Amino acid sequence: MPFTLNRRQALIGLGAATLASQARIGFAQTPAAPISIVINQSPWLASFSATVDLYQKETGNKVNLEVVPFDGMLEKQRNSVRASQGDYDILILNSGWFVEMYYGGFVTPITEIDPGFTLDPGIFTLGDTIYFDAEKKNMTPEGKLMTLPIQPNIPMLYYRGDLYQEKGLKVPETFEELFNNAKALQNPPQMYGIVQRGARGANTVSYDFYPYLFGMGGAVFKDQTAGDYSVVLNDDKGKAALDYYLNLAKEAGHPKTASQDQAQIVQALVTGHCAHASLVIAAYSTMDDPKQSAVVDKIEYAPTPHAPGLQPGPALGHWLGGVAHNVPDDRKRAAVAFLSWFQTRDAQIANLKAGGIPLNATVYEDPLADERQNRWMKPLAAALPHAINPYAFPEATEVVAVLELGLNRAIAGEITAVDALNSMSDDIYKIMEKYKYKTAELPKLTA
Amino acid sequence: MTQRYSLAYLLLAVSGLIVVVPVFWIVLAGFRTPISLLSGTWQFDPVLDNFLEVLFSSTSDLLLNYRNSIIVGLASTCICLAAGTLAAWSLDRLNWPGWVTHVFLGWALVFQMIPPVALASAWFGMERAVHLDNTLIGLILAHATLNLPMAVWLMGVFVRDVPNELVEAAKIDGASGRELFFSIVLPIIAPGLAATTVLCFVFSWNEFAVALNLTAKETATVPVAIAKFAQDYQIQYTQMAATATLSILPALVLLLIGQRYIVNGLTTGALK
Amino acid sequence: MTQAGISTASIAPLARPARPREDEKLWRWLSFSPALLLMLAMGALPLVNLLATSFFDVTWTSGSANWQPVGLAHYRELPADPLVAAGITNTVLFALGAVFGQLVLGLILALLVTRIPRGKVFFRALFILPILIPGIVVGAIWKLMLNYDFGLVNQLIGFAGLTAQDWLGDSGTALLSVIAVDIWHWTPFCFLLFLAGIEALPNDIYEASRMDGASPWQDFRYITLPLMIPTIAVTAAFRLVLAFKVFDEVYLLTGGGPGTATEVISFTLYQRFFTEDKVGYGAAMAIAVIFVISLLLIIGLQGRRLGRTA
Repeated sequence: MPFTLNRRQALIGLGAATLASQARIGFAQTPAAPISIVINQSPWLASFSATVDLYQKETGNKVNLEVVPFDGMLEKQRNSVRASQGDYDILILNSGWFVEMYYGGFVTPITEIDPGFTLDPGIFTLGDTIYFDAEKKNMTPEGKLMTLPIQPNIPMLYYRGDLYQEKGLKVPETFEELFNNAKALQNPPQMYGIVQRGARGANTVSYDFYPYLFGMGGAVFKDQTAGDYSVVLNDDKGKAALDYYLNLAKEAGHPKTASQDQAQIVQALVTGHCAHASLVIAAYSTMDDPKQSAVVDKIEYAPTPHAPGLQPGPALGHWLGGVAHNVPDDRKRAAVAFLSWFQTRDAQIANLKAGGIPLNATVYEDPLADERQNRWMKPLAAALPHAINPYAFPEATEVVAVLELGLNRAIAGEITAVDALNSMSDDIYKIMEKYKYKTAELPKLTA
Repeated sequence: MTQRYSLAYLLLAVSGLIVVVPVFWIVLAGFRTPISLLSGTWQFDPVLDNFLEVLFSSTSDLLLNYRNSIIVGLASTCICLAAGTLAAWSLDRLNWPGWVTHVFLGWALVFQMIPPVALASAWFGMERAVHLDNTLIGLILAHATLNLPMAVWLMGVFVRDVPNELVEAAKIDGASGRELFFSIVLPIIAPGLAATTVLCFVFSWNEFAVALNLTAKETATVPVAIAKFAQDYQIQYTQMAATATLSILPALVLLLIGQRYIVNGLTTGALK
Repeated sequence: MTQAGISTASIAPLARPARPREDEKLWRWLSFSPALLLMLAMGALPLVNLLATSFFDVTWTSGSANWQPVGLAHYRELPADPLVAAGITNTVLFALGAVFGQLVLGLILALLVTRIPRGKVFFRALFILPILIPGIVVGAIWKLMLNYDFGLVNQLIGFAGLTAQDWLGDSGTALLSVIAVDIWHWTPFCFLLFLAGIEALPNDIYEASRMDGASPWQDFRYITLPLMIPTIAVTAAFRLVLAFKVFDEVYLLTGGGPGTATEVISFTLYQRFFTEDKVGYGAAMAIAVIFVISLLLIIGLQGRRLGRTA
């Protein structure tokens, strides 16, 4: 039978072929094996879920989302990867926890499953955490491609644009500017200039502190990528950062900063009681929802401040997605098929429209980024390239525990900043020594 | 006459208030929008959003979780109470050597001291090996074991109240051990049994750490569903409150009916 | 008050021969075996596994586990761990404080409810409510209520003219607040058991004492309390064991802070065993904690025995 192709069909065929070649997997062919993705209940679950639904509709491949409480994410995924047969094909974890998966050999590199896979050039590589070199044990582009970012999450400076307009303030770029602006708006107890985290938790006060530390040129370790874990927390930059943090809380912050955690910062912001906060960008959707916020349309966004001449230093707290090692090959291929679709510009535009945060830089240049409800996008795109991965080794949770305790005590006034920095540095040094990393410590800080 | 009790009623009323106000607050929170709850105001316009979301949204399986919790709760409580009460009676009166009683009770108590996080991962490994993970039976067995020490010890206290003269008399009349237990002992320990049943059921109903490890989507229980609202950077208080409210209701009803049933059922079944 | 109205006269004589010994032996085993089997099947392996793991270091490479024997190293590390010392102290304080509060309140409420002529069922249902609420909700909601800026508690004491407190953030009040929340949550446990215990007490003793003209206080001191000792002891023991395991509430209320003011041992254990994935060290910690609790219970038992003989 003669096969005729009309113009429309030809164009569709061309489009499908282009899409297929872009993703390097023939969507029109046999459907891939059904896969299971584990994900936690969170504000961005809805957008991820919608994006997954789109994938299923477009390709006919089946994806099952296993929704797990945040509390159980690490536990269930550990159970899954350590068993002989995994329950989840795509693992999704916070980057800090994912390190354990890299080191333990629980993730199969994407390029091993599909050697032809190319990373979309627009994807944010987020501190190169998507790569891992199993011999050198570091994360650089020379390593293998292990994961894709699922949710780029960094802290941004949220501030009350309406109050800025009232008082004729300028968006702060340096720490000094932030201090002055916060002080100008400080009017307790109705309005706090800024609310910072101070509470001790799994990753609470330390996460808030990093942008200050990194933004002033400080760090915890000298050069992680080169494998030099010498502790530099208690150098002059670390001292400047902690002194600033404490002073900011005293002069322009909450009187009980030592007990403030992220939930309480969100509470202060959405009830209109604070003018600035350093908060993860994933919270943006709460700000303009009238059911969750009393400051709809009043919050503006900016990269976290930096010292003059330096760059902003927001710490990465993003989510990565990778393929589990202990699942059958056909499911691994299907998982990579999903990831390669997910990284494309079109998929990310859909993600944005569903209320998510795109991982593809091209989306941030789309006219969509200029819409009012997406006003967080341009500042985020400006900040993301400077995002810093705080830890690249699995024992980092012990280091974080030390920071949490020390910073909390300093903020509560139990110990001085100098004592806090010295004791934290000493404890961290001991931890790194215990695990046989190349490390050293600085001489003690004096007041 | 009522004067005598007015102090008692006063104390009970004050205690009742302290007990009930937070519970009431939780129930009310389920009817508020998040911003209204966070701003701490007393007045608010009630909304049904939270209940609709927790019951019917695409990522929620609350009705399924309910079903699972009820099945696991009832089954594990029955097993636990049956095994525990029988064992308590057996150890107390059926002439086991002293060391058996002490070792078993001690082992049971030590078992209770194992932290849930260690226990959950050990059980996951065990059940995975026999393909019992992600099954209701697996969770039922786990819960029955979790509450067994408490059942044995508590029923141990209550079976001691059974007077020996009664037991001896029944034996003289030719009653078998089984008849003795079911016709004489059970009615006497009925109130204690009711209380222990309530506790075992409630512990199973609210148990989280083990349930999280041993279940997945199809077998998840209500606490796992509730935990979903404690997220990485916020707690969705209003949805959590709505789910908790829905969770209290069946538990409360089951317990009130269950308590009365157990006490009445056992005592009316006694020999008159 | 119920006393199953049974007297020896009500048992109809059965015209059967004496039961053969085998039947009784069978019954003896039949009644004990369900519990024994369940404990053997489910309760033995975890304990053994925990003990065994405490002598190893477990790491994972290339997707599989490596078990390195380390002897008693983990146990030796325990005293040097800064969180452990704080954890044990706080947990003992927490456990003793909370359990004592629950026992006293539970007993008082149970006595009151059994005394009053009307409303028993109502109060019984009312006082059960707090344990019906899952620990995670109790922690989350009390955290909101104790919030410094917006919390219900500060609002109420504001009405009374007192100043707002940072209940959970001030190291002076944090542990007390956590204990208070725990008492609120678990008093129903004690209440239920004491109620059952009181209802099981025989009526005739009270009638006799009434004849002798004893006051309610004397009734309580010389009749009720001594008879209730077994119930109280077992309730206390279990509440103590459970208090050592408390996690959800403290985690959500304070996260162990401020500083280490509310660091409880289950927390430290969770951090080391689970978050940091040091299962060997965590297992050693768990075993050590089991020892401590057992020790406390034995001391309590000896104390009771001494009290009895005195």
